[in-house]
Amino acid sequence: MTTTVTIHIDGVPYAVPDGMNLVDAARIYAGVEIPIFCYHPKMKPVGMCRMCLVDLGFEVRDRATGELALNPDGTPQVRWGRKLETGCTTTVRAGMYVRTRTEQVQEARRDVLEFLLSSHPLDCPVCDKGGECPLQNLTMRHGPGTSRMAYDDKLHLDKHVPLGDLIYLDRERCIQCARCVRFQDEVVGDDVLAFHERGRRLQIITTSTPGFDTYFSGNTTDICPVGALTTADFRFGARPWELTNVPSISPHGPVGENIALSMRLDRDSGGVQVIKRVIPRQNEDVNEIWISDKTRFGHHFTLSPDRLREALARKRGELTPVALDDALKAAAKALKEAGNSVGFIGGPMTSNEDFFALRELAAHVGSRKLGLWPATLGDAAPAAEVGIASGSRLTELGKGDAVLVVASDLEEEAPIWFLQAKQAADRGAALIVANLRETKLDRYASRTVRYGLGGAVGFLDGAASDETLAQAANLVVFVGNEGLGADEHGVLLRAAANLLITTGHAGRRNNGLIPVWPGANTQGGFDLGFESAATRAMLQSAPDVLIVVGADVAETPAGAAALDAAKFVIALSLFPDATTAKADVVLPIQSFAERDGTFTNAMRRVQRFYTAQGPVGESLPAWQVIGLLGQRLGMDRPRRSAALVMKALAESVKLYAGMSYPALAEAAVQTPPIGISPGFYGGTAAAPTGGTGLQWPSKAESRAKLSVTPVEAPQAVHAGAGELVIVPLRRLYDRAPEFFASAVMHGRIPQPFVALHPSDAARLGAVDGGRVKLSAGGASLDVTAVVDATAPEGLALLPQRLAPGAFPQEPVAGRVEPVAEAVAAD
Amino acid sequence: MAEHILLRDLDVPDIKAFDVYVQHGGYEALRKAVGMTPAAVIDVVKASNLRGRGGAGFPTGVKWSFIPQSEPVKYVVVNADESEPGTFKDRQILEGNPHQLIEGAMIAAYAIQATAVYIYLRGEFWDIAANLDACIEDARKEGLIGPDVLGSGWSCEMYTHLGAGAYICGEESALLNSLQGLLGQPRVRPPFPAQKGGGLYYEATVVNNVETLTNVPWIITHGAEEYKKIGTPESPGPKIYCLSGHVAKPGNYELPLGITFRELIFEHAGGIPDGKQLKAILPSGASGPVLPATDAVLDTPLTYEAVAQIGSTLGSASIILMDETVNVAWAASKMMKFFAHESCGKCTPCREGTYWLRRRYEALLDGRAQARDIAILDDVASQMTGVTLCALGEFAVNPVRATIKHFRADYEAWIKQEAAEDKKAAKPAPAREKAAAR
Ligand SMILES: Cc1cc2nc3c(=O)[nH]c(=O)nc-3n(C[C@H](O)[C@H](O)[C@H](O)COP(=O)(O)O)c2cc1C
Ligand code: SF4
Ligand code: SF4
Ligand code: FES
Repeated sequence: MTTTVTIHIDGVPYAVPDGMNLVDAARIYAGVEIPIFCYHPKMKPVGMCRMCLVDLGFEVRDRATGELALNPDGTPQVRWGRKLETGCTTTVRAGMYVRTRTEQVQEARRDVLEFLLSSHPLDCPVCDKGGECPLQNLTMRHGPGTSRMAYDDKLHLDKHVPLGDLIYLDRERCIQCARCVRFQDEVVGDDVLAFHERGRRLQIITTSTPGFDTYFSGNTTDICPVGALTTADFRFGARPWELTNVPSISPHGPVGENIALSMRLDRDSGGVQVIKRVIPRQNEDVNEIWISDKTRFGHHFTLSPDRLREALARKRGELTPVALDDALKAAAKALKEAGNSVGFIGGPMTSNEDFFALRELAAHVGSRKLGLWPATLGDAAPAAEVGIASGSRLTELGKGDAVLVVASDLEEEAPIWFLQAKQAADRGAALIVANLRETKLDRYASRTVRYGLGGAVGFLDGAASDETLAQAANLVVFVGNEGLGADEHGVLLRAAANLLITTGHAGRRNNGLIPVWPGANTQGGFDLGFESAATRAMLQSAPDVLIVVGADVAETPAGAAALDAAKFVIALSLFPDATTAKADVVLPIQSFAERDGTFTNAMRRVQRFYTAQGPVGESLPAWQVIGLLGQRLGMDRPRRSAALVMKALAESVKLYAGMSYPALAEAAVQTPPIGISPGFYGGTAAAPTGGTGLQWPSKAESRAKLSVTPVEAPQAVHAGAGELVIVPLRRLYDRAPEFFASAVMHGRIPQPFVALHPSDAARLGAVDGGRVKLSAGGASLDVTAVVDATAPEGLALLPQRLAPGAFPQEPVAGRVEPVAEAVAAD
Repeated sequence: MAEHILLRDLDVPDIKAFDVYVQHGGYEALRKAVGMTPAAVIDVVKASNLRGRGGAGFPTGVKWSFIPQSEPVKYVVVNADESEPGTFKDRQILEGNPHQLIEGAMIAAYAIQATAVYIYLRGEFWDIAANLDACIEDARKEGLIGPDVLGSGWSCEMYTHLGAGAYICGEESALLNSLQGLLGQPRVRPPFPAQKGGGLYYEATVVNNVETLTNVPWIITHGAEEYKKIGTPESPGPKIYCLSGHVAKPGNYELPLGITFRELIFEHAGGIPDGKQLKAILPSGASGPVLPATDAVLDTPLTYEAVAQIGSTLGSASIILMDETVNVAWAASKMMKFFAHESCGKCTPCREGTYWLRRRYEALLDGRAQARDIAILDDVASQMTGVTLCALGEFAVNPVRATIKHFRADYEAWIKQEAAEDKKAAKPAPAREKAAAR
């Protein structure tokens, strides 16, 4: 435990933790703002900008007796330093005295600001940062009113330097604080930015091809203390004071990144409120102040012209636009005829309110077929038992702790957890990465484990005897489903629970299982009784009516077949897709940006998102569409607001007891406070306004007796002669409409490909860059072959949702055949 | 000194050869040192009060004693970056008497029980580095470097490394970064190089200048008492003075610390050529404040303390002399250009300040400056003082502030010239042409 020491700041004593950074201690414990540019609490101090200079002294003690030397008036004598010191590189210790307001300190600040502005272009009126710029703010507070720099002496540099296709650099605005470089080095581990040259010519360059190649580039534009870094998406898009930041939650992935949607009435979009940018919203329990580029740039689907705007119903075999009422009428009719032979499938962006409405409808019609999409997942019971304990923080893991990642490519599936696992390893935690192939996290692993297809369960089952894991002070286990069949995934999750129970880690803070689910609300679906296994059962034998919400069931051959087999399909969707094409009634629903709702992340944190923009066409929130359908079947009329749905949900679902919208809107204090409204550390992360969510406790936390359930690995898929096992992979950037609508990302989304081991490629006659045809389970895909030595022999690694067409989403034996290239005649 | 202690190539032409060095007592000091305890070696160097010749004059033995003995990995880094304008002493040692440096470095390594010695040379010293590699090989063959040095049970490797041409890489923490393959920018201290976390690869490290270490074998052989007989009590030992500029016989002079400027310039180096008057002295290259060539200055002994007392620094004793034909403001502009070019850019005051000052000097020399620009130059320089991350920023203000203090008239000459041209009056041009023609 850290001890507390007393330091004096501007004459006032404060008790602060020993060894804390002085800038942080002053801000947090004394409310004293030592101005900074280069320092950032998420990165190591570098002492570059010299803005944080303070007068530093120490109390004088008699060498022999150790007693305090006193002035004649009885006050302790203080020996002040010869020069000012940088606060950001100072750690507090007992007997320290700090002066932050002396004439000398104020002059130093004025001087540094005059220097920083000497060659600054002062193009604030057209600068993205203008209005929320630390350089502006600190100049107003501490700077000189004028400069003595002769105008002609100013240095002129390039103002439009694309560092990649997402981030632009204005070299004139850069104040060489190295926050961007350090973020990439220290936080991300992709050291793709660097300083080039020296002196006044010191400038930021990218060292990667393509430029600024990382999944986290946008964060540098947040932490850049000036407008030197801007995103291709937002650049010149709006002035900060025109923007209203609406709290929200990323709809992409299981992390539940807290975000704010910066909204503006936009002329170019027809005078309606639109998302101009997505920024992180501070939540130290979840994403700190970081978001992935997918979350930042993947919002364009909300206003995509491809969105469904009106209801469709089949007329003479053709899907035809109809009035919403007519569509509901047709759907209700089919439901009435089906009795209880009705199945429900909810997709990855389906909110808790939507799931709850589905559940109520199911109860009304007497169906228990509550399915979750994708159909490839095990169950959530292990996570409910030993899921990471409430209040845990991945940012606290370090020396003595262990992080185990099994069957997941964390950077692709949950980029923020990748950062946090990497940084835990940097702080000294043992990081063990087990998978059937190499992934990027291996770079930071203290140990990597390679198993063959079907070997994950065996590995995890034996892991309790591993000393590092058994003796770790804290143990966090991430379990994904890469290379696993659905049953195997369930067994693997159970094996993880066994490990945590056996080693005595279950139920303790900073310990537990984190399932790397595919969707933003997969956990919420499970919590409300929806199961991936139930979906599999429906694919086996389809109910008469299938209600599909935000799930492209037709993306697998089995799903497509089930849609065909069902007598009537009702699809609630954002986009027309292969599933809506097979539906009898299609109902447009609203995206996360157009409505209120909650997602539960994979750490069981229930988090609110708020209405930011107007509805697209006639779309409604899914819960309301379902409610209207229910009304036609004799249920009460739908509730009037999402808040009321949540109220009912919290009353009927025990895990969510007390999770009313007002309770979820409460914001936990963030330390250090980085978000915009405290404004101190500079940067465009939002404050936690709108709530930081509530976590439901895992069973282990209640000291319930937990028992180990022996596991057995199911039979692994075997490839027959001439076959490979085709293993689907989840990649961050795919061609699903919820992401592909962001044209700004197209340069980063790969062409459809399959990765093959060189020996397999040679055997099959596939060449790197050549086209191959994959066929399995009656489906086939046309993709490009990538010969990759890191691909395990015998496996064909197939990123999902790149190629158009249905294909199995579990490992499957299949053929990979080169396609004869048409001789280029035209 | 009849016999040289450092520049022994002047006494024994072939001393750079291993055999010749050994014939003349070479590597006896290392032999003697490994027979002592490491602590005893440090004590001798401490007692000799040898002070660092790289510029700061820090007591070498004290520096070595900072190294925590408990650390398993420790390094010695030899600073052979020699980049200060007017400094060319280390070069002569490296070329003429390399084994004595190697021996001194190995004694330092033994004293702190280092696992390896790295010699960091400025990039232009590639030929010297090649020769040094051959010398290291010779010494290694004789068991003086490598595993189990001289049967002592202590092992130590020695490597050379070439920089890429940056003045800042002579600053020890920037040097360490550069040696590690990182950008050559100084580090925040603490931790200091001698501490775990602050040195090479973040291990405890001693960084010493070439000349400093070349003193060490003599001290071990002859003892601290003998050494202290040379020079003054606070600044003992011999020093290589690098003389350049307006002096009859420029070059390296190995003489005791404590002789006066006058003795050095007029008795040893032949005075000022062409019967000209000495106007200004830069005692430590571009980095130290300029001194006017007054009698008081000329009679000041060349010791770390005495030169500091008259408002300058001895630094590495790269003494540049300027005669009456030099406009010192012009000279300052050259130095400013140097610092603006060499600032690493890591910290704001030095990065922006050196650029700003350079631009104003350009204006001065172009006849665009006004009287208030002298105040701006002085202000900007004072604004940089005491707030930079490393000493380069502190050095960079010296050419400005000291030259304005002592030679304000030279600045005013440039500004008046502009006034004169405005009036189209023919007036003798200031020193610009003459100086520029030099
Ligand atoms: C800008 C700058 C340049 C320096 N250049 C050199 C150099 O070229 N050679 C050198 O030995 N020391 C140089 N130093 C001094 C070193 O930082 C360090 O003090 C020295 O190598 C220590 O060795 P010593 O104690 O033996 O003098 C420089 C310092 C600064 C601030
Ligand atoms: S681009 Fe921004 S973050 Fe990067 S060094 Fe420049 S000012 Fe700092
Ligand atoms: S003072 Fe100059 S050389 Fe030293 S760190 Fe700062 S910018 Fe670099
Ligand atoms: S030097 Fe401390 S904030 Fe930049």
